[in-house]
Amino acid sequence: MRISNQSTYDVVKYQLANTATDLIKANEVVTSGKRINKLSDDPIGLVQVLSLRESLSSMNQLGRNVSTARTWLDGGETALSSVKDLITDMKTLAVQMANGTEGANERAAAADQVEGTLEQIVSLANTQVNGQYIFAGTKTDTEPFSIDSDASGNPTGVTYSGNDTPFSIKIGKTATLEVGHDGEAVFGDGSTSGIFKSLIDFKTALETNDDAGIQQAMDDLDTDLNQMISATSDIGTKGVGLDVKEKILQDLNLSYTERKSNLEDADILAAISDVNSKETAYQAALASSAKVMQVSLLDYL
Amino acid sequence: MSGISLLLSTAKDALLAQQMALDVVSHNVANVNTPDYSRQTPILQARPPVPYTGLILGGGVDITSIQRNADAFIENNLQQNQSDLSATSEMENYMGVLENLFNESSENGLSSQMADFWNAWNDLANNPSGDAERNALYERGALLSQGFSELSGNIDQLNKQLNLSLDSSVGQVNEMTARIADLNQQIATMSAIGDPNDLLDQRQHLINQLSEYLDISYYVNSDNTMTVTTGKGYVLVSRADSYSLSFDGNHVRWESSGSSTTDITDSITGGKMGGWLEMRDSIIPEYNDKLNQLSNSFIWEVNNIHAQGVGLETMTDVTGTYGASDATQNLWDQNSGLDFWNSIDSTGTFNIWVYDSSGNVAGGGPNTIDVDGAGGNTLSGIASAIDGIAGIHAEVTTDGKLRVYSDSDHSFAFSGDTSGVLAELGLNTFFTGSDASDMAMNANLDANRNLIAAAKVDATGEIASGDNTNAVDMAGLQYRDAPALGDTLDNYLASLEGSIGIKSQSITRTREYTETIVNKLKETKNNISAVSIDEEMTDLIKYQHAYAAAAKLISAADEMYQTILDSK
Repeated sequence: MRISNQSTYDVVKYQLANTATDLIKANEVVTSGKRINKLSDDPIGLVQVLSLRESLSSMNQLGRNVSTARTWLDGGETALSSVKDLITDMKTLAVQMANGTEGANERAAAADQVEGTLEQIVSLANTQVNGQYIFAGTKTDTEPFSIDSDASGNPTGVTYSGNDTPFSIKIGKTATLEVGHDGEAVFGDGSTSGIFKSLIDFKTALETNDDAGIQQAMDDLDTDLNQMISATSDIGTKGVGLDVKEKILQDLNLSYTERKSNLEDADILAAISDVNSKETAYQAALASSAKVMQVSLLDYL
Repeated sequence: MSGISLLLSTAKDALLAQQMALDVVSHNVANVNTPDYSRQTPILQARPPVPYTGLILGGGVDITSIQRNADAFIENNLQQNQSDLSATSEMENYMGVLENLFNESSENGLSSQMADFWNAWNDLANNPSGDAERNALYERGALLSQGFSELSGNIDQLNKQLNLSLDSSVGQVNEMTARIADLNQQIATMSAIGDPNDLLDQRQHLINQLSEYLDISYYVNSDNTMTVTTGKGYVLVSRADSYSLSFDGNHVRWESSGSSTTDITDSITGGKMGGWLEMRDSIIPEYNDKLNQLSNSFIWEVNNIHAQGVGLETMTDVTGTYGASDATQNLWDQNSGLDFWNSIDSTGTFNIWVYDSSGNVAGGGPNTIDVDGAGGNTLSGIASAIDGIAGIHAEVTTDGKLRVYSDSDHSFAFSGDTSGVLAELGLNTFFTGSDASDMAMNANLDANRNLIAAAKVDATGEIASGDNTNAVDMAGLQYRDAPALGDTLDNYLASLEGSIGIKSQSITRTREYTETIVNKLKETKNNISAVSIDEEMTDLIKYQHAYAAAAKLISAADEMYQTILDSK
């Protein structure tokens, strides 16, 4: 077959360009550490990588949401358990004061203690997490409870200015969790029922030396304590749910990260050995091309 | 003629013939690197014999012609494949640019920006009255809308580059066709004398170059001139005449001999121009349309949720961002000129709450506007319905937008829009614009971040500024299908990018395949036509020896004459 000089040059140029391109591509995989460096390297894989990246990003966000939710629940739990302790103290006080041996003076002194406790519980009901009131429904930047006083400064009731929709946080694709509280449902409305009314009634009974009233206060405080226990256990249940959620998110995060890495990241050992083999091929092509191009009849004339 | 004089004349012819053959060899050697040069071969032939004393003696040698070694079939085949290769190579280049625009291999692509946007809404939902969260969300929204509009601008730029390339290549095509016409004339004239081999090569070279620009076909006429037409038969060169192409900024036009021109844009399928046109008119618009659908849905879905909510404060004066060209048309009629005319539900309603100076609900409850009810239907109708509410006013501005404003001691808020009209008119919305090119943030939010609507007005008209219910709704949009796309916004983007990658990959494969064919054909063509130095050197020696031998014949004749002269 007849071979022209042009054909020799063309073939050499084309083959060298091809082997050089292979080498550069192999090198790109090693230097970037990524198997997919542009959309067309593996479009199907890329779509999966994008979807995994999106899932990972939203899972990280949900993880942050879950930890915010935990802060809220913890805040509520701490507040309610303090309230529980205070109510228990008040019950003890009531039992003590119900004893007929206690006189009007002791009872008046106890009344001051009750007022102090009322203020403490109101302040606990106004607990804030990250600057947001957790017992105010969704009116999280409004102080939910305030004490109404008569002209002489005695508390007459407690007003709730929150609303009845508990504050919720998004903890799943569609799931939300009520982490805040309708304060009225927890503490009562402050004038007809609930711990605040019980304390104010108790205080009045002590001040007026009203035995029947003190007896009544013991019953009321029992009901309130049960209410607090039930509210606390409700928070506890939610906390357990969050633990499960957190665990699931962590597991998913691990498995998604691994899948993403399998799709996207280069196997460095394989990539380096690929570069080596491409380099050998390139060197061989260069050496043989140089030989082919040198040979000419002219050398022998 | 006989004897010594015959010997001399044969030797002289031989000398001339071998010398001429050496001239051809030197021409070949000189053109070893000339593109599309076809190697030439001298055709040696014995002269007609001469009868002499009953014998027929040979009359020596003569060069009858100089042959051009070319295969028209291979040339034609190569030219057509070269045309395809040029088209796919250009498409491959531009697909590479398009891929880079989306830039998803890094983590700063559009999909990451979308993820950041959703996360910012989640953060706001966790702390609805936080200034930092509001600012971060605003910035994420601004970055995302910039991401869309930059991408759209870059795609636009790509189209401009394609048009520039088309414009300049039309000039080059015209130059080449004019030169082919010129060569046609010279070839016709010279063909009367002999084979104008080098002019034929030059013309073939121009044909090959021309087919890199567009798909052509050609045939040779009996007078050796060539007729060149576009792939679909519009004549570019006929004998000594050439017909120009022109580019009007959008269409490629063919100029016939008269003053009329024909639009041949759609009939150019090969060559660089074919590749550019395919990119410009088919591939880029397909992805650009998808990008616009995505941003259109993005704007609509986000706005429609945002319009349901309320910020940290109520509004006193707000002007919609979308204008109607005709305020007397129904809001769900295309003639209204509203961008989102077909996205609304005309059977729906929305509420306006009016508040007095101390923040209490005025008028006893919500003012419900029935979109297709009495007084509704049109932009003017909605405006007068709102205007009728005590404490607030509404008007249609000169650019067809709805402005709602309150008395000095009143304010207002929206809620419960089941119609989408608020989003359609751009009242209390997040983004402005209707596609990727004009997507931007609502300027009202830039002026006052407190208007970012994380909360909702509740059933009694009360506004809990620490409420996050609307932000939670918005954060959920990430996982919901956008009805117009039939997929979530994130997934739609991913599949758009995947389809670009697949297209790019398939174009690269076609290019590689065509390149292999072109290389094989080129090799075949070169093996037929191109010069081999080894071969020419062999020929050189061959003709040189023949020349020396012919010279020897002359000196033999000379000696013979000498012998005869000396004998006297």
